[in-house]
Amino acid sequence: MSAYAKTGVFLCKCGDKIAPFINLEQLEKSVGAEPDVAHCATMAFACLKPGLEQITQIAVDKQLNRVIVAGCENRLMLSKFEEHLRPLELLKGQIDMVNLRGHVATVSDLDAEQKATKSAKLIAAAVAEMTALRPSSLTRARLQGPVVIVGNGIASFSAAAEMARQKIDYRLAVESADPGLIIERIHETYPGEQSYHPRLQKSIQEALQSPHGKLLVGRKLAMLSGVTGDYTLTFSDDQGAHEKFTAGAIIACLDAQFTRPKPGFGHDGKTVMIPSEMESLILRSGPPKGTVVFWISDYENGQPEFAALSAKSAWQMAAHIRQTSPAATVIMLYNQQMEVPLTAAERAMNRKLNLLWIPYDGAMRPTVQDGFLTFCNLSDHVEHELRWNHLVLSPERMITGETLRVARILGLVHKEGRFLTGHHARVRPEMVGREETYLAGSARLPCSLADALAQGRRAAAKTAEMFRKANAGELFVPRIVCVVDPEKCIGCGQCQELCDCGGIGVEEGPGGGLPRIVDPMVCTGGGTCAAACPYHALVLQNNSNDQREARVAALARRLGPDESMAFVCGWGGLPAADIAGKQGLKYDPRIHLLSVPCVGQIDACAMARALKEGASGLVLVGCLPETCHHSYGLDHAWARVNTIKKLLSLSGFQRERIALAHADLNRPEDFVRTVDSFTRTIAAMGPMVRTPEDQAKVDALYDLIKHNTRVRHLLSAGLRRPGEDTYQGDQRHALDYDRDFSAVLAEEFLQQRLLQVFRAAKGPFNLDELTGRLHEDPNQVATCLWEMVQNGQIGFTHKNHEAVYALS
Amino acid sequence: MITFKINDQEVSARPGWTVLETAREHDIDIPTLCFHPAVSASGACRLCMVELREGSWSKLVASCIYPVAEGLQVFTETERVRNVRRWVFEMLLAACPASPEIARMAAKHGVTSTRFESHDPEQTCMVCGLCARVCEEVVGLSAIATVDRGVHKRVGAPFAKPTDVCVACGSCVTICPTGAMQSIFDSIRGVPATNLTQLG
Repeated sequence: MSAYAKTGVFLCKCGDKIAPFINLEQLEKSVGAEPDVAHCATMAFACLKPGLEQITQIAVDKQLNRVIVAGCENRLMLSKFEEHLRPLELLKGQIDMVNLRGHVATVSDLDAEQKATKSAKLIAAAVAEMTALRPSSLTRARLQGPVVIVGNGIASFSAAAEMARQKIDYRLAVESADPGLIIERIHETYPGEQSYHPRLQKSIQEALQSPHGKLLVGRKLAMLSGVTGDYTLTFSDDQGAHEKFTAGAIIACLDAQFTRPKPGFGHDGKTVMIPSEMESLILRSGPPKGTVVFWISDYENGQPEFAALSAKSAWQMAAHIRQTSPAATVIMLYNQQMEVPLTAAERAMNRKLNLLWIPYDGAMRPTVQDGFLTFCNLSDHVEHELRWNHLVLSPERMITGETLRVARILGLVHKEGRFLTGHHARVRPEMVGREETYLAGSARLPCSLADALAQGRRAAAKTAEMFRKANAGELFVPRIVCVVDPEKCIGCGQCQELCDCGGIGVEEGPGGGLPRIVDPMVCTGGGTCAAACPYHALVLQNNSNDQREARVAALARRLGPDESMAFVCGWGGLPAADIAGKQGLKYDPRIHLLSVPCVGQIDACAMARALKEGASGLVLVGCLPETCHHSYGLDHAWARVNTIKKLLSLSGFQRERIALAHADLNRPEDFVRTVDSFTRTIAAMGPMVRTPEDQAKVDALYDLIKHNTRVRHLLSAGLRRPGEDTYQGDQRHALDYDRDFSAVLAEEFLQQRLLQVFRAAKGPFNLDELTGRLHEDPNQVATCLWEMVQNGQIGFTHKNHEAVYALS
Repeated sequence: MITFKINDQEVSARPGWTVLETAREHDIDIPTLCFHPAVSASGACRLCMVELREGSWSKLVASCIYPVAEGLQVFTETERVRNVRRWVFEMLLAACPASPEIARMAAKHGVTSTRFESHDPEQTCMVCGLCARVCEEVVGLSAIATVDRGVHKRVGAPFAKPTDVCVACGSCVTICPTGAMQSIFDSIRGVPATNLTQLG
């Protein structure tokens, strides 16, 4: 038994849902006999209060520090067990569930004894994982220093005003501290919103005058380092002098910019203009006279999603013109696909002001001429001409210049796009409120001034909430996040490149190196970065690769020669399997399901471990393509599976023994087909032949993928599929890439097998002996040996005029 | 410890348990539909009704939300309970005639037909709200809720449009006791854009 892991296993009868199908008596006996199980008990309903109290009692009596409940879906029930066992300091990661009901009881026609045997294997695997767990201690998150509001967006002021109201110290980095000037400039990013200016004025006054705030006027953000709660921001002034500030949290308020429409729209800034230019004109020389046409041209701009927003601000500006210049005629021309975004009150006002809304047939793009605009009428399909004195177009919106620069420094830009995407992969709602860098403003997604101000307020309120929690000692570092082992990290940066959540940063090391650090409050715990680390320096704590390997190995060792296993992703395969189980769909009982949060989290060495330890096949069932909830987990899994396939064929095994599949949770019948197809393939091939020589090859395969940093490096650098269009700058020739990669694998695999021979028996060996042992081509072996001598892995001497090799 | 009787059988419970939990702990079967251990009980479906007797006086309560008390006299299979159960099953059969789960459960309790008129022969949802509760309590979101009131009440997302709030975890599909969420789910998360969905 393990020195410190005391695991209790609780089997649930679940009324008549599990007990009649699985022989629980037999199961309890065999699980209880496992050396790493401290206690095993069967209960009527583990999840109801009587059951929970019983588990608590046993956990206290037996001083359990790991609990496994074998019952139903962990997706639904795990949080309840976690909540109940938290007072016993049994934390997230120390409690696990095995779905006997959905993955064993109902899905096959095996008899109760056979099902008990299958259940015992799954439970033993879970026990092995728990035994390998090295739980992290519970740490409180600390937030030191003020909140720094950067980005110069208009939401800065509402955020700062909210901070002032919440009495939290903040620093506000702005270009100018003159409210008049700020209001005057606001039309450049939010035109047509005069009605909000008084409210904005109030926010600005509040933000600038609060004793909790300090202003950083006219300074630019130059650098950011640190993690949540302890940031260092470097600002530079006009003279280039740098000044450093610490911050507990950052709120980024960034506004999108307007750019001139393409030449086809005839934009000249004087008569044909965008709304911000129109508003400048109104401010400069009063409302225009004559006919003003607002053409809501977002569909033609290629940004139809912002048509309603453009129409709303154009209408506000139009209403302002009509009110102040009754002589002017104002016409709104809009694509008929758009719904007029006016409320009932606004429609009434529209009628009163006599503003004309004309829809046009979007199939024919309106054409701008000098003084006229041709459009196709929807009802008669006649091309009409609209006379104008001023034509106002919708602007093109995107982030450029300073906004983009600041966003880059803050690490908000991950993908090329017009706007900033929400900073976080949305994985589990418990992460909501963990974002350290709150983002507000139209740079996130174009919005109205009111929306931007509300976003700023909301960001500040959330940040304040986080501070309050931290000060009260209630803010904890999440349990399942990545941690970097600085001893192993060489700073290659692969993880940072893969990380989608922005949780990995650079830290200046003592020797000038740049090892990575993880911000635990940002990390989503997806773990694809940890699985990609060539040096195993990145570990997903409380859910590590060592745990996964232990689980895989424990299960694989217990599998029969024709049995296989499957990793099911918590977002695709697992729910599909759960629902299949609930519906009582039947599939091949030789498949054994292991649930994982994401298939991208599985290191290739865990896959190799399954084959090494006795599984005859391994299938990974992930989400549907492009629906990964983490960061491209499916694509990463594909690259790893592909590598194992290549290595399998180098070892003389069938490539089909490992496969990647997709499942949609709402189509359990498809999941069943996937599983049946895979088990049929494995059954047709028969068990893996495991003569000592074959086994040595699988062992070498595992050692290679686990320890060989060259292969691991190449694998993590090539995790995206060729042909991927997300990172277009990174395209490679699919065939060339594959050939190069295969050649490297072949070379490294042969070296690995040679090392295996050298390690297994005392040398020295000559070339003939080595070739004979490996059954490989002498030329290749000779080349390989020479390379290994050059690398210093082995040495050679001469014996009887012949070179002999041995470990150096 | 609290001791009371269920079907004349002496049972013991701790304060805070419900009648249903105590019954299940003692292997006494009470049918339920809208009850799931992952979420708080709501007592909506009325299938778990049991009779409480005190002398010549008796009342029916929903066992999933009724707390235990010293000296209760609970009966799970009296004529009155069976009558209510039959009525509930008949109403459920009329409300969701297309749900095989409900038909199976009703048949198990001897109800195979209904005297009520069925308005929608395709309906499988009985609006028990388990999906909304699991979304809020377990997942921590509120992507799904009951909309409209009274006889028009149904399950869906705001404005009957796919919602961004939904993370497509499928907890609602897993928890749904009638299998109705399978057809509603796509209208909440949005149909995944893929051609891999039709393998067969």
